[in-house]
Amino acid sequence: MSEQTGKQLSKEEKDARFEAELLPVLDPLYNFAYRLTLDEDDANDLVQETYLKAYRFFDYFEQGTNAKAWLFRILKNSFINEFRKKSKQPAKVDYSEVEGYYNSDDVEGEGGVASTTDMRTESVQDLIGDEVASALNALPVDFRTVIILCDLEGFTYEEMAKILDIPIGTVRSRLHRARNSLKEKLEKYAKSMGYNS
Amino acid sequence: MESRFTETHQKLSEDGHESECDKIAHLLDLMIDGEASTEEQAYFNTHIEECVPCFESHQKQKLLKGLVSGHLKRVIVPESLALSIKARIQETV
Repeated sequence: MSEQTGKQLSKEEKDARFEAELLPVLDPLYNFAYRLTLDEDDANDLVQETYLKAYRFFDYFEQGTNAKAWLFRILKNSFINEFRKKSKQPAKVDYSEVEGYYNSDDVEGEGGVASTTDMRTESVQDLIGDEVASALNALPVDFRTVIILCDLEGFTYEEMAKILDIPIGTVRSRLHRARNSLKEKLEKYAKSMGYNS
Repeated sequence: MESRFTETHQKLSEDGHESECDKIAHLLDLMIDGEASTEEQAYFNTHIEECVPCFESHQKQKLLKGLVSGHLKRVIVPESLALSIKARIQETV
């Protein structure tokens, strides 16, 4: 690897390296795109755009450094610079995702007497997930972003600062406000689940 | 037991220890995100052993993080996506 300086990689070598180092991030990247755009087609476009940009700038990517953070940063910038402008519609709340799962109650009913404790637990898990998703989707995109980066993807504050191009202090305060906002939205639900404040 | 803790806490508050709970509130996120320094962790843990409201805030904040990390469903990447990325890259010179 030390000889890479000055030596141009062949197209095949570059492609192989690109795929090996950056494609494993596809899953978290797509999930991030989806949580930002709240639309599968938009997420698809955004991820493709991100990978194409990453390919163009791949020579500047240092092997072994944080590929995930690098791609997340490119995606976030693409989202802000181009994507948001393109789709002028107000922030959508993702009802479609919720709709797909809300039938789990019926499923339990259809299962009749035989429905097991496991199944019931599973549908409760689904309901909690739906509740969290709709609360999260209702947050402003900046708040949604820090919560996803921190709680879902496990980035450190320092990594988040780099991805978002903001100081760590801002990461902290934004995360704090985002959590308060999410807490508010979930509070009613939490109370109904027995978590009383 | 619990009421005694609360009483102690309230007395401390009147003595000007209120700011200590404020400090703890500022450390909450750092604690649950694993970003607190060793000193901050020690300070935090000592405090919540004696202060019920702060102990409860910590529990709630952990619960909130757990709701997102443990219950938010991941969306499944369409199979075609990786293929079309590879195809478009191969076209790129």
